[in-house]
Amino acid sequence: MNSDRKWLVFLLVAGVLFSLIPFISEASDDFTFELDEIEKSPLEWGGYVEIKLEHLDINQDGNQANLNYPKGVPATIDRFRPSLQVDGSYTAGIACFNWLFKLAGQQDNTGWTDSGDIYEVYSRVKIFENSMVDLGKKAFGWGKGYAWNPVGFVNRSKDPNDPQESLEGYVTGELELIKSFSESNSPGNMALTTLLIPVSDAINDEFGEGNGVNLAGKLYLLYQNTDIDFLFFIGGSRSSRFGVDFSRNITSNFEIHGEAAYITSKDRVLLLENGSTRHEENSVWSGLFGLRYLTANDLTSIIEYYHNGNGYTEEERVLFYRQITEGGVVVDEQTLRQLRELSLYGYSRPYAGRNYLYAKFTQKEPFDILYFTPGLTTIVNLDDQSASFTPELTYAGFTNFEIRLRFSLLTGSSLSEYGEKQIGNRIELRLRWFF
Amino acid sequence: MIKIPVFLFFFLLFPTWVLALDGNRILAQVDKNMQPDSYEMYRKLVNVEPDGSKKEFILYSVKKGPSTAVALFLQPASEKGRTTLRLGDNMWLYIPNVGKPIRITSMQSVVGGVFNNSDILRLDYSVEYSAQGVLNQGDSYLLDLKANSASVAYDRLKMTVDKATLLPTRIECYAVSGMLIKNLQYSKIKDFGDGLVRPSMLATESPLHKGYKSVMLFAKIKKKQVPDEVFTLNYLSRIDELR
Repeated sequence: MNSDRKWLVFLLVAGVLFSLIPFISEASDDFTFELDEIEKSPLEWGGYVEIKLEHLDINQDGNQANLNYPKGVPATIDRFRPSLQVDGSYTAGIACFNWLFKLAGQQDNTGWTDSGDIYEVYSRVKIFENSMVDLGKKAFGWGKGYAWNPVGFVNRSKDPNDPQESLEGYVTGELELIKSFSESNSPGNMALTTLLIPVSDAINDEFGEGNGVNLAGKLYLLYQNTDIDFLFFIGGSRSSRFGVDFSRNITSNFEIHGEAAYITSKDRVLLLENGSTRHEENSVWSGLFGLRYLTANDLTSIIEYYHNGNGYTEEERVLFYRQITEGGVVVDEQTLRQLRELSLYGYSRPYAGRNYLYAKFTQKEPFDILYFTPGLTTIVNLDDQSASFTPELTYAGFTNFEIRLRFSLLTGSSLSEYGEKQIGNRIELRLRWFF
Repeated sequence: MIKIPVFLFFFLLFPTWVLALDGNRILAQVDKNMQPDSYEMYRKLVNVEPDGSKKEFILYSVKKGPSTAVALFLQPASEKGRTTLRLGDNMWLYIPNVGKPIRITSMQSVVGGVFNNSDILRLDYSVEYSAQGVLNQGDSYLLDLKANSASVAYDRLKMTVDKATLLPTRIECYAVSGMLIKNLQYSKIKDFGDGLVRPSMLATESPLHKGYKSVMLFAKIKKKQVPDEVFTLNYLSRIDELR
């Protein structure tokens, strides 16, 4: 599809969506509440249709672009990304069947690609009111951090710029037990979650190495108005790891949270000065501390510091970038291929450095514009002071529609993490219709 | 010379503000008249903009005892599955996609508009407030209520209570600074069955959002006994099972 046709398709779809708006809200002072509006059905389903348009300015001086585009770095990339997410459940007695599917397509300079993924599909059986078993593919969100979760031993990595998006799960067997105990004016409860995670060539092969069954667990306590989790993972697919997290309100508008994880024998591949590689295994600590603060005029600030104990130091990353070019010229294809493998393994993974700061500020409904939320997200690599800045505008005033406009600017010196990223800046328009 | 009995003399001079203790009794009775101790209910929340356009939300809620409540959004589709839990001063929000609850504050609004989290997950008035005084206004009482702690959304309430029914008709909500934040107006008395006769509509307007109005409609308020385990973080993804 050429560029003109692509825009024509987008404008056509957007036009249809916006033409529905006048029918969405109607002015009337008559308030009614009919009981058929709250009828429950054993089959519940919903989801959203999304159209995302992106324009990316490529950082042509960045080593990451040289690595990914050996035959010439494009100046810009335009993307058209439609997607469909459908979730639902069917309940019969004590059993409930749940699913979450996602279809996504992408049209850009290189052509059209698409994918269909089963994010979740699992059965839940309620044994008693305080215990249940889940069997199947399910996503987990362990940890208290917004942007990162060092204790997310069974989580997929999330995008700190979009931490509330659905993520694909793993095939697991889960048993959950909940116990609540109420003393006078001191509510408290605890919950024990245990997971079996099988790994083989056919199941969860991307989770870790070898064949076998792994065990993970989480003990949650609400103690003295503080959420506390103790977490562990043991098994042959990944090294053993143990963690703790907490979350607590200091005042009604001020919350603090944190995570600490100890990971034994964490594997890391290191590129050496002479171009060879070395495998390292170290036991490392990772941690996160964050706060959330709401001002009287509805400005919410979320600030987090993240230490990645297994991350690459600034010197190690600089050494990697320096191997991509030699005297200003990109190295040969064979060397590039090896570096690309290293890049995928660790060096170019998101947040592969040691120390990061995340800050997100959102202002609710400024100037009395209902459902309008401007915001700013910034992520700083504290070791090399490179950063990304993402201002955004979100409007959700039309029932079941959400419009979001974002601009991302990546900035940093040569050989810094964000200074070497493939993208220099990006503008994104996202339109969602929920059903 | 007309002799006035001493007690009558003092009675005539007695201020209209009576002991706060009576106010607390009235407040406790208001709570009792507004809802059973443990119950479920459905609410429709309507945000009305100055141009008259509306946005509607439907919630299912379960409350147990004076300070424990959970609310699940059923509509619109964009909010479906969002669940808020309150245990005393602690509040959490569960978003299905995120898959984990996050702590929120009472003054935030999950849905936008004039209603905030503390309006949606309101505890018994007598849990959060103590009466500083009562003004007798003929066919109604005016209760002057002070928040018991700094974590309560509104520092002060002026609650008008109908004498005949001991139900609230109007509430003015004030910040610590003394600024009027919003007015709440209860109306449309309805028999919900099981001896529960109470307002079925709550309208709110705020001087801070001129021209905007929010209305809460109540339906199917019924006694319901649920185990304490329902009010835990791990249960938030399953609240719909209670319906």
